[in-house]
Amino acid sequence: MAKVFIYPATSLILSDLVARFGHKPLGAALGIRERIQTAGVDSPPLQITPEEPKRGLRYAAVEVPAGVRGRMAIYGPLIEEAEAAVIVTDADLAFGCMGCARTDELILFSLRQSGIPILELKYPTNDEEGVEFVAAIKKFLAGLDDGGEA
Amino acid sequence: MAAYTPGYAGTVTKYVFVESPAMTPGELALRAYEVSEGVLIKETCFGLQVTGQPEAVDRLIAEIRTFDPTHIFVKDRGFPPGDPRRCRANLGGARPGYLGHEREFRILRYITRGLEEVERRGEEAEVPEPASVREKRPVLDIKRLQELIETEES
Amino acid sequence: MSRKVRIAQLSCGPEYSGVQKEIYDAAEAVGAEVFFPDIALADVERAVEKFGLDVRSADLKLMIARGMALVDGKVDADGVFIGTCFRCAEAAIVRNELRRYIPEHSRLPVVSYSFTERTTSGTLLTRMEALTTIARRRALLAREEQTGVTMGVDSGSSTTKAVVMKDNKIVGTGWHPTTEVIKSAESAVADALEMAGLTRDDIQAIGTTGYGRFLIGKHLGADLVQEELTVNSKGAVYLAGHQRGAATVIDIGGMDNKAISVIDGIPGTFTMGGICAGASGRFLEMTAKRLGVDITELGPLAMKGMGKNVPMNSYCIVFGTQSLVNALAAGSSREDVAAAACHSVAEQVFEQQLQEVDIKEPVIMVGGTSLIEGLVYAMGQLLQTNVVVPPYSQYIGAVGSALLASGFVKGE
Repeated sequence: MAKVFIYPATSLILSDLVARFGHKPLGAALGIRERIQTAGVDSPPLQITPEEPKRGLRYAAVEVPAGVRGRMAIYGPLIEEAEAAVIVTDADLAFGCMGCARTDELILFSLRQSGIPILELKYPTNDEEGVEFVAAIKKFLAGLDDGGEA
Repeated sequence: MAAYTPGYAGTVTKYVFVESPAMTPGELALRAYEVSEGVLIKETCFGLQVTGQPEAVDRLIAEIRTFDPTHIFVKDRGFPPGDPRRCRANLGGARPGYLGHEREFRILRYITRGLEEVERRGEEAEVPEPASVREKRPVLDIKRLQELIETEES
Repeated sequence: MSRKVRIAQLSCGPEYSGVQKEIYDAAEAVGAEVFFPDIALADVERAVEKFGLDVRSADLKLMIARGMALVDGKVDADGVFIGTCFRCAEAAIVRNELRRYIPEHSRLPVVSYSFTERTTSGTLLTRMEALTTIARRRALLAREEQTGVTMGVDSGSSTTKAVVMKDNKIVGTGWHPTTEVIKSAESAVADALEMAGLTRDDIQAIGTTGYGRFLIGKHLGADLVQEELTVNSKGAVYLAGHQRGAATVIDIGGMDNKAISVIDGIPGTFTMGGICAGASGRFLEMTAKRLGVDITELGPLAMKGMGKNVPMNSYCIVFGTQSLVNALAAGSSREDVAAAACHSVAEQVFEQQLQEVDIKEPVIMVGGTSLIEGLVYAMGQLLQTNVVVPPYSQYIGAVGSALLASGFVKGE
């Protein structure tokens, strides 16, 4: 089972397909869950405290807006953990955790830099593209198993 | 600064979406309750949220998927069910993630179709690769452009 | 307490910057609640297309759609808080356009802010208070005439001002540097009463404003304790005799600056800046000290000089002052240096704050710094307009407070 970063990290479809085909999807929910389940200073709604943008300095310089650094504090460790990634490139209406285009650009860049196997594709717009989409993801994920992991 | 003490520590919550002509969220909930074995189930307008220990949730999800494999979709959730910080009633409106789900609901039927077809065609079937997302469309050949202009002018 | 004022939040990033709680806390402190206008995905797509600003960030699209839902009356609110990350250009464009769009198409008061992870509820408090005041006290703010005998006290960061008003006239004023908040207020009040020939018992209602408003308000048993944004707007248009229509109020204070776009005496949009001393009255005080003149002499001195003759490499109160000292050493005239200092402050306020409000004439300058004519001149040059400085402009907060307090005079 490989750890597969999904982009958009909030995607229902990618989260489902990665898990359905036997792998572990790494998405925003895992980062948020970790914070929601950790005791500390009360900082609703997401339990992201002002400390998080400071932690985000590991991924983006101080002149980068706080919201980007705070988001990177969630995604950075997940990207480091990822063994592969499935990316949908036309996810222009993913809000909240994925709602900042600058963060999204940085996530994509970090993934591409990391050297892990990546599948990039677009959302299907008809039945035939749906078939291609599912088949491509299934094939990509099956290939990860070939890498030697059980 | 107020201290924060988390509830539901050590649990996982997952969304179960059902987009099926054969099963309503209510029916899904009824069947899920029968096999829940202590996993917390909350019915929603789109399906369910299930919360419990990771292994128990995984087992239940595997079971639920068998009800209607190509019409049931599952996703992790960061918050436990009914959390006031994410509740529509408290925020005044839907949390932003809800709109993202709306975006993907529109194409779930293509995914369903994809799952059915990939299953039907079997492991060995060749399915064309999706169009490359990084490839640029070739520009029009300059000679062809000139021909077009001349055709228009004549 | 009356029902909570409902403030619609249009934002990108506060949850991820760790400051959403600060927004909640600031709102709660002034009896308001923040909410997020409810819309569907189709609304977002329609709104973004209609608005015509093609941004990439989905949360900015959401901001635009929520703003339009408010303007279209699909969602009810009493005020709007617009917040985006400091240093994000894409968000700044959306924030500015919404800040302009909403008041132009609705009666909703708007406050906008760009936050960092260091933003606290304290920073947001005055802004939230002003928003709720505008929403809750429209009737009170509609007052255009002072009645009875009232007193206003403005406990500012540099100075404390008191004004006594009677039958729509200023009959006493008092002014003291703020040292100990209550003591300074007591002194200013005593002076104002003496000048008016009245005693505390004659005063029918009291209003307080400024940083020390809560403390002074409690001490004096004030009827009205009000932040300086609404009070100064009210005072400015009252003193300038321009209570109807649009106006812009600029107050360069000792610790922060306010730029307020006013309509019929009520703030529409406003900004408060306070992180740079180089853009404050303090910079001019330091310049006066360096030049060996009283602050009251700085303005006339500046009027005789040419700021352009002095190279200023920085707006900073430390490095900017250094530039001035260097210029003096290199032979620049004191007049030119004074003018350069005034220009520096005006330019910084112009660049960093006045871009955030729509400048509508008349432009009214108030507060102690409005008496520095070199500064007023520099601002007028930058804005290409004749800046109005009304009489008693340095007492603006106290006058506004006294005027509004007359709403509490018995029998009113």
